[in-house]
Amino acid sequence: MSASPLLTARALCAGYGDFQALFSIDFDIQPGEVVALIGANGAGKSTLLKTFVGLVPIRDGSLTFCGLDVSKTPAHALVSRGLALVPEGRRLFRGMTAEDNLRVAADHAGQPAAGTRPWTLERLYDLFPILAERRAQAVEDLSGGQQQMVAIGRALMTQPKLLLCDEISLGLSPKVIAEIYDMLPVIRQAGTAIVLVEQDVSLASRSSDRVYCMLEGRITLSGRSSEVTRDEITQAYFGVKHDLG
Amino acid sequence: MTWVDAVIQGLLLGGLYAQYAIGLSLMFGVMRIVNIAHGDLVILLALIGISVSAAFGLGPGFIMLLMIPLGALIGWGLQRGILNHLVGNDPLPSLIATFGLSLALQNLMLTIWQADTRSLDAGALAIQSIDLGGIHVGVLPLGIVAVAALLTWGLHVVLKTTRFGRALRASAADKDAATLSGIDTKIVYAKATAIAVAILGIAAVFQAARTTVSPADGGAQLIYAFEAVIIGGMGSIWGAFAGGLILGVAQVVGSRIDPGWGILAGHLVFLLVLAWRPQGIMSRR
Ligand SMILES: Nc1ncnc2c1ncn2[C@@H]1O[C@H](COP(=O)(O)OP(=O)(O)OP(=O)(O)O)[C@@H](O)[C@H]1O
Ligand SMILES: [Mg+2]
Repeated sequence: MSASPLLTARALCAGYGDFQALFSIDFDIQPGEVVALIGANGAGKSTLLKTFVGLVPIRDGSLTFCGLDVSKTPAHALVSRGLALVPEGRRLFRGMTAEDNLRVAADHAGQPAAGTRPWTLERLYDLFPILAERRAQAVEDLSGGQQQMVAIGRALMTQPKLLLCDEISLGLSPKVIAEIYDMLPVIRQAGTAIVLVEQDVSLASRSSDRVYCMLEGRITLSGRSSEVTRDEITQAYFGVKHDLG
Repeated sequence: MTWVDAVIQGLLLGGLYAQYAIGLSLMFGVMRIVNIAHGDLVILLALIGISVSAAFGLGPGFIMLLMIPLGALIGWGLQRGILNHLVGNDPLPSLIATFGLSLALQNLMLTIWQADTRSLDAGALAIQSIDLGGIHVGVLPLGIVAVAALLTWGLHVVLKTTRFGRALRASAADKDAATLSGIDTKIVYAKATAIAVAILGIAAVFQAARTTVSPADGGAQLIYAFEAVIIGGMGSIWGAFAGGLILGVAQVVGSRIDPGWGILAGHLVFLLVLAWRPQGIMSRR
């Protein structure tokens, strides 16, 4: 691994109230890398992403981003440092137009990483032309795919160095999923590292450089996406020998 | 003609209710905070204004210039000191806290100002009126409606077009998602409450100049503001303005039918709107 990872978690523990959801998580991602995070329902994938961005408090362990300790940084302050989450279920600002959803994020954006082109409304509309057409429409009146584009666009407008995507394919048709996944290389070319939480294991493997698998709040497998075997994934995913089908 | 007059006098009365209501609407629509102390804050600011005016011989215009920043300061402190710890999906904790605050403020005011009724001397403005084809329209009440409309319009523009307005609407729609967009929601909330109470600083001076105030009056002001907000539709600023005017018209028309029916007629219209359009007349849904 290179000397300066973008984000590093060591022995990270977190949870909700009395319930511990994450146990001693070790996780790294390099600048510009795409990492997939897979695991069964309830494994703790969303919790891990929410812990990275400061929405779930860290109980133990360390978290560094761009070389700085961020374990106690409030969530809103992490955004301007370049950490963005596309949350599960999109969580758009209902009652506001597509463009206002994007503007809110632009209003509070940090500086883009040195040497990278900043994300602007124009650039985003080049990436998702349909959003330019629907810019003045209330987000709740957009299709699921268009809403997901707004959610991704909103995260991009904060000028992230690391983009965390929580199940961006959920509830979308295969055609729309392909459209959205086709955009990931474009985003990555801009120098942004990406974590993909994805139910579709083969899509996750195809789209990533490395993969982490979680089971019951623990990392059970990590490796290069091209090298981990189907058996290893099955084992890590279910904890026992099953066929993924 | 007497009915036209009643409606016009009602609109003029409603201007004051509209001024109370827009701040309440802002707080409820954005933070789901039902501020039970809303009316007591109007009275507190009015009593402070009256005392300062008497002590230093300042006119209502000056007093208003003082009460606006004082209101903003109180609102900011209230949000940062108490309410920010209680905002959430459940409106109950903030309701209980502001209820406690309301009782505390009433007792404080009784101690300082006793149960007397006071008012602010607005000079000639208080009695000037213009004649609109036989209907006398007071200059001060007309000014109150105009200021209410101006405040509503201003707040609407701020919410629609400014960075702060977008942050506020975003925080109202989804607090966590707003945080994920880099918004410090606690600061946004504090600014919103500061604005809401600063508007009460304006309303307080108008209230004190137009009628009288005494420490126990806050409850009634809260009810009128609350009814106006519900009539107009929660979260709609123009709705709160319209709700205030409707309430004023209902009260005056009611009292023309029978002098004892004024307040009751207002409550009846409120109940009718609740039955016919529970989401309020100006709500999008
Ligand atoms: N807000 C919450 N309060 C309490 N427990 C929670 C909360 N959110 C998640 N959990 C619990 O934490 C564990 C991990 O949940 P998490 O949402 O992170 O799983 P996930 O891997 O994202 O699952 P999915 O694939 O279904 O999205 C689960 O046992 C879940 O019940
Ligand atoms: Mg999840």
